[in-house]
Amino acid sequence: MKKIKILLTVLCVALLASCEDFLDVKPSNYAAAETSITNATDAKVAVNGLMRKMTSSSYYGRNFVIYGDAKGGDFAVRSQGRGLDYYYSFNHTATNINNSGSGFWTQLYNNILQANNLIMNIEKIEEAGDGTTALSGYKGQALTARALMYFDLVRLYGKPYNLDKTSYGVPLILEPLDAADQPTRATVEEVYEQILNDLADAAPLLSKSVLKGFLNYYANKAIEARVHMFMDNFTSALAAAEEVITSGKYTLYANDDWVDSWSSEFGSESIFELAIYPAEADLGSSSLGYYLLRLNIVSGASGWFMASNYFLERLGEDPTDVRWGIMDYDETSPTRFGSCLKYTGVDLKGDKGTSASAVNVKVIRLSEIYLLAAEAALKIPTPDKVKAATYLNAIRKRAPALDPATDATITLDMIVEERSKELFMEGHRFFDLIRLNRSIEFNDEFIDPAVLIPHRDKIIDRTFLKIVLPIPQEELDANPAIASQQNSGY
Amino acid sequence: MKKLIFIVLSVFLVNAGMAQSQVTGTVTASEDGSPIPYAVVLLKGSRGVGTNTDADGRYSLSNIPSDGVLVFSYVGYKTQEIPVAGRTVINVEMATDALALDEVIVVAYGTSTKGTYTGAASVVKADALRNASTASFENVMGGKVAGLQVTTLSGQAGSTSAIRVRGIGSMNASNEPLYVVDGVPVISGNVSQLSDEIYTTNNVMNTINPNDIESITVLKDAAASALYGSRAANGVIVITTKQGKQGKPVINFKASVGLTPSFATDNFEVAPIEQQLEMYYENFWNAGVYYEGLTPEEASADACAAFNKRFSKHGYIMSAPDNTVNSLTITGDRAGRYYNWDSVLFRTEVYQTYDLSVSGATETSNYYTSFSYANDIGRTTVNNFDRITGRINFSQEVGKFIEFASNINISSSRKKGFNDTRSMQSNYFMQSRNVLWPLYWPTDIATGEPWTARYGSYALNPVFQNEQFDNNSKTFRVMANESVTVKILPELFLKSIFSYDNTQVNDHLYYSPLHYYGAATTGEITETSTKINKLVSSTTLNFNKEVALKHNIGVLLGWEAEKNQTDYQQAIGTNLPTSALHTVATAGQLDASAYYWGNTILSMLSRAEYNYDDKYYGSASFRRDGSSRLGSNTRWGNFWSLAASWRIDKEPFMDNVPVISGLRLRASYGVNGTLPSANYGWRSLTSYTSKYMELPGSAVSTIADANLSWETSYTSNIALEFGLFEQRISGSLEFFNRNSKDLLQDVPVSLVTGFSSTLKNVGEINNRGLEFELYGDILRKSSFTWSAGLTASHVKSTVTKLYGGQDIVWYDPTGGDARGKFIYTEGESTLALYGLEWAGVEDETGKNLWFLNNDETPDLMVDGRPATYEFRNASQVIIGDVHPFLFGGVNTSLGWQGLTLSLNFSYKLGGQTYDNVSKDVNEDGYYWERMMSQDCYDNRWTPENKDALYPMRIAIDLEDALQKSSRHMHPADYLRLKSITLGYDLPGNIVNKLKISGARVYFNGANLMTLAAWKVYDPEVNEYGTRGYELPLGKTYTFGIEASF
Repeated sequence: MKKIKILLTVLCVALLASCEDFLDVKPSNYAAAETSITNATDAKVAVNGLMRKMTSSSYYGRNFVIYGDAKGGDFAVRSQGRGLDYYYSFNHTATNINNSGSGFWTQLYNNILQANNLIMNIEKIEEAGDGTTALSGYKGQALTARALMYFDLVRLYGKPYNLDKTSYGVPLILEPLDAADQPTRATVEEVYEQILNDLADAAPLLSKSVLKGFLNYYANKAIEARVHMFMDNFTSALAAAEEVITSGKYTLYANDDWVDSWSSEFGSESIFELAIYPAEADLGSSSLGYYLLRLNIVSGASGWFMASNYFLERLGEDPTDVRWGIMDYDETSPTRFGSCLKYTGVDLKGDKGTSASAVNVKVIRLSEIYLLAAEAALKIPTPDKVKAATYLNAIRKRAPALDPATDATITLDMIVEERSKELFMEGHRFFDLIRLNRSIEFNDEFIDPAVLIPHRDKIIDRTFLKIVLPIPQEELDANPAIASQQNSGY
Repeated sequence: MKKLIFIVLSVFLVNAGMAQSQVTGTVTASEDGSPIPYAVVLLKGSRGVGTNTDADGRYSLSNIPSDGVLVFSYVGYKTQEIPVAGRTVINVEMATDALALDEVIVVAYGTSTKGTYTGAASVVKADALRNASTASFENVMGGKVAGLQVTTLSGQAGSTSAIRVRGIGSMNASNEPLYVVDGVPVISGNVSQLSDEIYTTNNVMNTINPNDIESITVLKDAAASALYGSRAANGVIVITTKQGKQGKPVINFKASVGLTPSFATDNFEVAPIEQQLEMYYENFWNAGVYYEGLTPEEASADACAAFNKRFSKHGYIMSAPDNTVNSLTITGDRAGRYYNWDSVLFRTEVYQTYDLSVSGATETSNYYTSFSYANDIGRTTVNNFDRITGRINFSQEVGKFIEFASNINISSSRKKGFNDTRSMQSNYFMQSRNVLWPLYWPTDIATGEPWTARYGSYALNPVFQNEQFDNNSKTFRVMANESVTVKILPELFLKSIFSYDNTQVNDHLYYSPLHYYGAATTGEITETSTKINKLVSSTTLNFNKEVALKHNIGVLLGWEAEKNQTDYQQAIGTNLPTSALHTVATAGQLDASAYYWGNTILSMLSRAEYNYDDKYYGSASFRRDGSSRLGSNTRWGNFWSLAASWRIDKEPFMDNVPVISGLRLRASYGVNGTLPSANYGWRSLTSYTSKYMELPGSAVSTIADANLSWETSYTSNIALEFGLFEQRISGSLEFFNRNSKDLLQDVPVSLVTGFSSTLKNVGEINNRGLEFELYGDILRKSSFTWSAGLTASHVKSTVTKLYGGQDIVWYDPTGGDARGKFIYTEGESTLALYGLEWAGVEDETGKNLWFLNNDETPDLMVDGRPATYEFRNASQVIIGDVHPFLFGGVNTSLGWQGLTLSLNFSYKLGGQTYDNVSKDVNEDGYYWERMMSQDCYDNRWTPENKDALYPMRIAIDLEDALQKSSRHMHPADYLRLKSITLGYDLPGNIVNKLKISGARVYFNGANLMTLAAWKVYDPEVNEYGTRGYELPLGKTYTFGIEASF
């Protein structure tokens, strides 16, 4: 009896003393958020994470790239219901979770949080006097990534800068928020200003070496060229583009190498290429590349998107155009080469020789920068048509049968058409045409059985309200402050 | 508690000796005169004077005062008090009473009796479980306990059930009850990691052999469950396994075989092929003529072209010479022959069980051992389940004061499952109902080789694919439970339990390079190992004393520590060399992961009980829990209860009311809690899942509230228990009210923060209801008995407070395809269906109509209400409530000359179910390449059938299919004969000739009859009231024999 009492007492005391230890159970595969970035190694891991987040299927990993082409008239869908066809049919609503396009909003703001968290923590380390070159380089990457993401967001949700820059853009968030915060939309102009500020802040921090899979100084400049182009700042756009072109770090693919460039990683044109490795952002049979394959060419290929007749006619101006080499026949007929293999490689082995789906996304290529430079040179207050023609011809020569442009023959149309041919399936066409205030014509007639598109006309232009996505209903519900700022048309 | 001690003590304590004479006699059962062995005979008011009857029911007690009173009791029989009155021979006939007030029930940290227990508890006995036609005991409990709802998630062998005790008390944390086996909380629920991959569940409770279970007690109110504190808000299922009985060892053998040749009801029956073709043609024809402005010739050509493009390669050509559906003709190499996919996808399920148990007891030891094997060859051709279990329950008294007990259960099971969700590639049920046309053949007509490509609608050829696919989930579980009881004083004992519950699950998933899912990676194999460990250590000190004969005091004090840790390892191999070797070791590329997670709970617990003269009862309990799932500020919570009961029947004034043989009022109030589901929900975390270029990558992954706390339930309970006509009729009426507060909500936050939600303690839910149980011994003749029971429950489950008063729209999480849409709104049901309000079909045009439910300009009026043709213009509203008005069961049992017939019905009245299958099998033409149901064919609009239930089928993008609307909502009322059992106990003379002590043959039928308000699908739906593509329940015919030696 006594022994038991003593035993009990000892037990109780021992128990109470070790209570809090016993109850402090930490996860084995997560770190505490507050202390996870305290040095350059941590920051590097976070930069890796940020790049990976940019490869999400809701962003460059698939949807954002398809968005820019599906809505631009160079694409057609074989049949509705296979996936993402609501981009093509403009059948987006704020409320229907299946086709609201809310993935962009959700993913991009999550990515921006990662960038903001990285910037904030690096600044904390720097304020404590522990800054290093490596750390500021990572901060430069985070700032540049943030600029790119705001640029993409404001184009998805805001009206074109050169249409109505005082209209609503997107909420501008520059540091991690509290759960209770309810931000509202900044104007398009404010967002563009921030993008330029971020790019300018980042540029001096960034490495000028070629960085495979990450952002460097020239990626920053290339983005800057893009941004200025959308703001009609042609002089600045040209300067930024030329800084990239003249750097000597990147070279255009020779005609003979052009097709093969899609079967290898980090080619000589890749200014910013996001890596997609197996067991990382590899989407398997839902990957970007698979969305363009002919039905059943490989198991799981569904034949989602194919080229429109308009694109095929354009590329068909020169039957010897090297870019035919990346096209394969599509589901409609063995003679219609509407299936694009840019994300699987012509041999369907991808860019690593092993997988048709784990294929990098070439976000910014030198070819695009040449064409930006050509267009900017044509549009600066004193047009430099010689320069424009030179830059255009560097790309146009990929259609050997076509006459090179000269200062006498060069037109904006030639550049715009060259962008379509060269950058097909790289997410530009829709944004180009909206920026240029051109109409977009869709090509549904050849599809049989017919797809019926009740949500847009055959030809649209930027007066069509659905050229921007709705703010997702979840956002309006959770954030009453933004509820009155929904895009008109939704 | 007091009774237990009496019984225990009576077995071994030496007679104190102070009285005069010896009394002997025989105790027999009143229904058949058979002797009752091991009945307890005690001298009232004198501790330690008592004995047990022997194998022939005889007893002998010496030194009994002539004015003493003997108390005769035995589990399942009504206790009798008989004055000795100078006699030396007292023979007693004991009456059975299924709801006897003196029935011992196992409750939290001990036992009690039904008549003295102050909490709300219901008991399911072994008898009810013995005829189970499935591997899980959970399915048998439905309809037997008022307030308990059991829903079956799937007809797949080996799947989980969902159990809800008294409604829904949480939006975010678990609504599952706590499972306690032999006094210790155990692992419950789904343990398969495969559910992430192919949506099949592996119910860990299947590791318990139903035949090992002696009783299941369901603890319902706070008084009953608060002693389990932070895990008990959803009720507690207390399982007690069998013990031996004194006397000769009993060997029991049981074998059964159950056949399930068909589903229990119609389930979206498919229209015959001729009608499918008609709908296919009509769909395009309508689109051409009514929408695109084509001529009938053009529309007809379109329809035939669409068909021929799809099916000509399968050997079928469609034409319609007069350009209408009337002349529809199919030609081609396979014309007139159609493939019967059902023969490939389904078979007769065969469920076999074999059980062997040996049990016995001596004065100081007690043992029960069993071994069982069960094998279930499932309804679908890929689903199998088998299980081996072994159990040893052993207890030994060492000296006078110490008893050791050890319960060990070992089980090994193996399940092969298939995808239970809306998957066109792999869900057999969906394939058979929606996508596998009889026009598709498993062989290519051109080559004679297996068809390997996808058919239309992504359907795969199951004949080929299943050769390229394998999965199984192996579960090995050891439950070892060791206890020592030290009897310090007659009034005081200490019990210490240490339990180790270890479940190891190995999930194996294989896709060959030829399989659809394996092609991209040249074959893929995933091996997942999950080891779930639960360690529980509890020590309790029990004190029970009777003071001055009328005051009974019981006190319990204790502490408990629990540690849960799950170790997880996964290896994925891709690029497989050969389809012959299903192992990651041979793979060209390997990917692996391993980590662990877990939580701990530390508790102090106490309970005090008092009763005065077995008339007035009071009890109080208090428990303090600390959990690692909460931050240090909020970690500790206090849970308590108060309860009282009054045996009105023992009051003198009741002596004048002979009709009422039992009457008791009890009431309780208490507080218990629910922990967040997430182990680390209060911590803001950085994850490392964002690998990039084979380098580690981190990302902020949660936005947490460090002050996250318990969900707390405040429950009051009032009950009236009654017995009439010598307990021939007995029952109870019970009212409860449970206010659950500080409920965790995924509070939506602005997505601009980078997250969509954060967990906060904000919501409140109220559940209140009435439960009624009635039991009658209608006939109790020796040759013929008839009893009947009824349970009925009404639960009103209402959301009473939400974060900022903001509604939350949510989806049934089952299967991950948003199969039912709900809204939490203050003042509305916790299962309020949300969607558009369908106004039917316009007779003239065959178009869908929708009630506007807003101020938009209506297109027309329907039933005097503004309506529109365009669903986009209409607003969503609450369209129905899943909670039934009343649910329960009706049980009846007849006995005659060794024959017993028992029937168990379950029913549901009121409420709605939501059908997420008809959007595929009865839709308006969007999925033009799918098969449709008979319901669709019969009730769709055509120019000949303008008074139609469903609209015209037209192959344009209506997008109706994706909307949730009242069109797909149906009344939930049903009555189902859950089981019918006909058993025959072989008469004594035959049994004796066979040299065995008993034998029984039986037949059990499960789900043989169903009456439903909506007949298109099985009305027994999941816990959210939604019907998806999980395999429906079947009709099962089980034949079994049981013999004891």
